[in-house]
Amino acid sequence: MSPRAGMINQRPVPGEPRPYEFPTTIRATLPNGLRVIVTPMAGRQLIAASLAIRSGAADEPAEIGGATVLAARGLTEGTEVRDAIALTEAFERLGASMHAEAGWDAISAGLDVPASRLEPALELLAEVVRRPSFPESEVERLRDERLNDLIQAKADPRRRADDAFVSSIYAPSSPYRRPAGGSPETVARLTSADLRTIHAAAYGPGTAALLVAGDVDPDAVIAMASRLFGDWTGGRAAVTGPDATSAVDARFVRVVDRPGAVQSEIRIGHPGLARRHPDYHAVSVMSMILGGLFNSRLMSNLREAKGYTYGAYAGFDLRRSAGPFSARAAVNTEVTVPSIGEFLIELERIREAPPTEAELQAARNYLVGVFPLRFETPGPVAGWLGGLFIHDLPDDEPLHYRSAIEAVTADDVLRVAREHVHPERCAIVLVGDHEKFGADLEAASIAPVDVVADEPEAPVGVA
Amino acid sequence: MPVPVVEFSDERLPNGLRLIVAEDHVAPVAAVHVWYNVGSKHEVPGKTGFAHLFEHVMFQGSANVGKSEHMALVQAAGGTLNGTTWLDRTNYFETMPSHHLELALWLEADRLGTLLDALSQENLDNQRDVVKNEKRWSYDNRPYGTWIHKLLGHAYPDWHPYHHPTIGSMEDLDAASLEDVRHFFETYYAPNNAVISVVGDCDHDQVRAWVDRYFGPIPANPDIPPLPDMSLPAVIGEEKRETVVDRVPLPRICFAFRAPAFGDPRLDALDLATQLLSGGKSSRLHRRLVRDERIAQDVMIGTLPAVGGASVILGYATVRPGVDPAVVESAYLEELAKLAAEAPSEDEMGRARALTEADELGALSRVEERAERLSMYATLFNDPGMVNTILARYLAVTAEQIREIAQAVFRADNRVVLTYLPTAIGAEALEGGTGDGVGPESTVDAADEAPVAADVADVAETDDEGEADA
Repeated sequence: MSPRAGMINQRPVPGEPRPYEFPTTIRATLPNGLRVIVTPMAGRQLIAASLAIRSGAADEPAEIGGATVLAARGLTEGTEVRDAIALTEAFERLGASMHAEAGWDAISAGLDVPASRLEPALELLAEVVRRPSFPESEVERLRDERLNDLIQAKADPRRRADDAFVSSIYAPSSPYRRPAGGSPETVARLTSADLRTIHAAAYGPGTAALLVAGDVDPDAVIAMASRLFGDWTGGRAAVTGPDATSAVDARFVRVVDRPGAVQSEIRIGHPGLARRHPDYHAVSVMSMILGGLFNSRLMSNLREAKGYTYGAYAGFDLRRSAGPFSARAAVNTEVTVPSIGEFLIELERIREAPPTEAELQAARNYLVGVFPLRFETPGPVAGWLGGLFIHDLPDDEPLHYRSAIEAVTADDVLRVAREHVHPERCAIVLVGDHEKFGADLEAASIAPVDVVADEPEAPVGVA
Repeated sequence: MPVPVVEFSDERLPNGLRLIVAEDHVAPVAAVHVWYNVGSKHEVPGKTGFAHLFEHVMFQGSANVGKSEHMALVQAAGGTLNGTTWLDRTNYFETMPSHHLELALWLEADRLGTLLDALSQENLDNQRDVVKNEKRWSYDNRPYGTWIHKLLGHAYPDWHPYHHPTIGSMEDLDAASLEDVRHFFETYYAPNNAVISVVGDCDHDQVRAWVDRYFGPIPANPDIPPLPDMSLPAVIGEEKRETVVDRVPLPRICFAFRAPAFGDPRLDALDLATQLLSGGKSSRLHRRLVRDERIAQDVMIGTLPAVGGASVILGYATVRPGVDPAVVESAYLEELAKLAAEAPSEDEMGRARALTEADELGALSRVEERAERLSMYATLFNDPGMVNTILARYLAVTAEQIREIAQAVFRADNRVVLTYLPTAIGAEALEGGTGDGVGPESTVDAADEAPVAADVADVAETDDEGEADA
């Protein structure tokens, strides 16, 4: 068939780029050390406001693992002046959606609220962050919900694979070996006293920033911050560089056997690098080429050429210390072993030669070009600035990000691939039906295989 | 706090393509949302899943674009993109740095004009494998993954086009042929069956010139077959119950009720009701089942709007360990009955309205959402202006209207109750006979069942490529 008459077969050339600048940010530091970071964005009437604290699950004592995440959830379970329901209703009357969570590196409590109601919403935010009551009974409920969630995680092949992967790649000394929300053994013992301990140690102005973005007057926001947080004291727990010792000395395969599974979840990798590593920009480009872009090497191979999967990806989880590097996919059970082979080929290939000019251009252009799209609305602006604060990165990172990406060369990509991707010493974790691919796996001689039975579902009838 | 009005133009090319343009120069970004008036409701028995498989084929190249090159070109321009298929429609969208907008329009036109030039058995087979893995990943290999498909299967009768899941069945996917692709394309992928919205940093006249140039040569299809009558009685007519024994960790009770069609103001009232029922810590279902009685791990309820005859409202409660699922079912249904018996308080209404308003403000601040809404309202209701009136409709809903629709919908003879039981206790429970419902009970062991999974769970639609993550 010949192309339809009249169709234009010439690809358009781009127009003149309209300059984009990351919105200008106003910063202040209150006498108690609280950083106030305000980003006016004209016309953005839904304001994003959040308090970010530079302390996370990585900083909690191992014996109360999960307390930081549970404490963040507990913030909205009541304060010294209101119970959870009254608090929720107060937020709702303002049209404010409140969220509070914690991860490995940080605690974040924030809200989206129409500009006209920012001040009363910030008053509530201050109340929640500064004066939570962690009622015993609500903490027990949250704890039980977390335990039940861990039961659910075991039954979900994806979460099971993620958990088995991190426990395979980190040494017992590393907190990263377990979920940030804690394991059943530690979560089961958590009490509201533990949550208070975390709150007293970690929540304070010296390690916190209030981030506000949207159509606001910075002076007014700084004045609100002074009134609501100026007399805040406490906190300032020492922030650690968490132990990220690797448990991967050589390549090995770990199978979590799930008879009857119609797909195998695959995770391949090892500890990666920290967010503050100077290779950040080159690694961002490299992981786009390997397993980030739609036409990444992994996607082109495992999906578009072979049809083994709906999606194959690779990337680095960048934390205060070396978070995991993982390549991952869910594949048709029958092609489990061939898929591992293709993954290993691609992990080797990215280390063997520099990327093509076209690959390099595509990755750099994507990261640079998508930058203004990422920051169209206040939430992501406040979120990214919060991340820079958490990792103690320079304030001017938003101004330099795009030129740093542009400057990444093919040799840089090759160098960081060789430095940070290690297929010769990686964990290969599979969650799937071992009987269906076990013989092939042995025959392929990829690495020593260890098979663990998927534990039975939690007993029902036991609370 | 007024939500800004979206000013837009609305015109048709001679070939019937509807073009909607809304300029907004705040950020150097522009979104394109192409909607085709074809969804899984257009599929016939034996060809389920085809609309979605076809959507994948749309990324496999056309006369001037290679396989997967659509994605490559958009991403290398710093853009994002995706395509999704759902009951009533299929859509394709790009958000671009504004100086690359023309590229997105050209790419969309090239595949609409010349898709068949690049069609090959190899690419179809490849995407069939990809889609089968999408089905396994999204539905079959996921705890409770089949729940929405099962509920829709009960809420709509066998003959109805919403009865089967958008993802389709493995057998039907296997049977899809190149001839099916050609026929589907020639039937439904015509400019007079499409709406294209462009929102953001663009110039209307320039956009119109580009669209004329790229889409203008594509001929209309004057013979798009009409859909069969999809109208349905307002209620299902009986209670339907099913118990599934599966590899799930905790029992979960899922519910569905037939509801007014999308566009009916009574569905707006029902939407607002879902906020009162499960929209946060103080919502009724959450407060009673999760917080106060502590019999459920989580609860939800939400509408699945559909224009053909009836929508559904569906939800679930996951049963805490040690709790009798029947207790959870009763408590859930009691809360629905309370809403049907007594109008919500003005305080509850006020909070729901404030949240709805703020959500709308946030959603419409993104060019992509505005483009999607314009195309959606134009495609489904021939009224893109609903982007500016829908909020007022929500805010005008009264407490008594909520009570009325709750009473009309939350009836025993209009409900589906689907219970998932863990394998460990399922057999015993079934022998003991938990089937004490008033309606017909069917019991299916998921392990023996044909893989008719598919779930619209998290997103209520079957997504194609997700955005690349680092």
